[in-house]
Amino acid sequence: MLLEVANLTVSYDKAMLINDLSMSVDEGELVSLVGPNGAGKTTLLRAVTGLVAWEKMTLRGTAGGDVTLKGRISFDGKAIEKAPAHEIVRMGLVHCPERRRPFRELSVIENLMAGAYLHPDKAQTQADLEMVYKLFPVLAKRTRQVSGTLSGGEQQMLAVGRALMSRPKLLCIDEPSTGLAPLMRQEVFNKIQQIKDMGITILLVEQEVATVFKMATRNYVLSSGKIIAQGKGEDLLEDEVIRKTYLGL
Amino acid sequence: MILDIIIDGLIKGSVYALLAIGFSLVLGVARIINIAHTALYMTAAYLIFVGTKLMGLPAPLAMVASIVLTVILGLLIYNFFIKPIQEHEAAVLIATIAVAMMIQEVFLMIFGGHYLGVNPLIDGYATILGVKVTYQHLLALGLALVVLVATRMFLQKTRLGLAIRSTAQDREVANLMGMNVTRVAMGTMAVSVGMAAITGAIVVPLVTVEPTMWMHPLIMMLAIVVLGGLGSIEGSFVGAFILGFAESLVVFLVPMGSFLKDSVALSIMILVLLIRPEGLFGVSFEEER
Repeated sequence: MLLEVANLTVSYDKAMLINDLSMSVDEGELVSLVGPNGAGKTTLLRAVTGLVAWEKMTLRGTAGGDVTLKGRISFDGKAIEKAPAHEIVRMGLVHCPERRRPFRELSVIENLMAGAYLHPDKAQTQADLEMVYKLFPVLAKRTRQVSGTLSGGEQQMLAVGRALMSRPKLLCIDEPSTGLAPLMRQEVFNKIQQIKDMGITILLVEQEVATVFKMATRNYVLSSGKIIAQGKGEDLLEDEVIRKTYLGL
Repeated sequence: MILDIIIDGLIKGSVYALLAIGFSLVLGVARIINIAHTALYMTAAYLIFVGTKLMGLPAPLAMVASIVLTVILGLLIYNFFIKPIQEHEAAVLIATIAVAMMIQEVFLMIFGGHYLGVNPLIDGYATILGVKVTYQHLLALGLALVVLVATRMFLQKTRLGLAIRSTAQDREVANLMGMNVTRVAMGTMAVSVGMAAITGAIVVPLVTVEPTMWMHPLIMMLAIVVLGGLGSIEGSFVGAFILGFAESLVVFLVPMGSFLKDSVALSIMILVLLIRPEGLFGVSFEEER
């Protein structure tokens, strides 16, 4: 298993956002996390990539710092639940965050180079850059543009491109299609499929269940911080309770 | 007269720009409002006085040593007084005020309230368009501009510069790029204090060294960063030259009016804020989550 989460519990103050959750992602898979708003999908990604621990450390002593994080997370055979976020990236577990979050005042190329921060070797980074430009030709046309002035879809391409510059083994993408026009959504999903075909394992959080179930090798359905169902898309859709209650289909 | 005002305004503007940019960097990256910033500028000035006048070191050596020592002092202050309470903005503000007062009192105890001075690095003057300008003023201006350009190159072209700018915009996402934001904050503090110390070293031959010499630059610097837009480096740069020239105009044109310089600067700040509350180059900080 590339990523293994065992008995993970995350609470902020008294609210338990992740409740004794276990899941895993194997190499080469595209695994999706779906479920209603507030189910804990984003928190799960944040816990896995070290952001919950970072937040706890940074905000200690303030009201926001009352965070508990229990359980085991391992990546590529190494325990990472205590590793700082910036070390986790180095291992190849890369997180493309919710709401895209480009560095808005930096240009497109500067954003991409920020993604390559851990990789000062020029030749390979240049090759990565060409790969990203080939995948997202629109970025190649706008290298010098300040990223805050890009459209939502372009910002999403930039966020994914920036994550690719970090050389992921496992790429976690949080709600890439949210807030985009239908055509642009389809474009984003096509790109994610292409990234998977390049041999990069993907953990995808999405609301767009119908599309995601067609792409993913396996799916987890989350609700109230627990996994309530898992399996292939077509099997999950056959279960009427899951379909109606949790997926809203 | 006009040339006097131009030279003086340029020097004041670039000195304030150096102070305000250093202050803005730490404010942007670590959300620290470092009131002790200009107290560290004063520290560098005193150390140069000690080095050249009391120990008899050559001036360039004293300058380098004072900059290094001031940076070390700044990092110690950061580690022991600021870092443990970094997320409590009000506490950081109070702590840095306390540190500034401590530095002032220490120099007052050691040197008393005397007005001290340092010899110029070079004597003599040039005559430009019939006006005498001392070489020391020209040197200070040249050095300040060189440091400003170097700072810009550093922020635009280096890896740490990229990390500083990324972290200033989104600390959390900077983590996801593999940037160690704690270390970036430390590096930014070093750069910021270094800029304050260099500024002190550049201007020390032009000013009187005394324990409250940090107050006026502090007021100007705060007015500049608010005027330019909190956290904006371009804003700090432009604001510094606006208020630098305003100060020169007041000092040269209003007879016996140099006591007005703070109030004129602050009035300009208030006027700009009435029209543009976010400052000239205002950027609202990205909410973090």
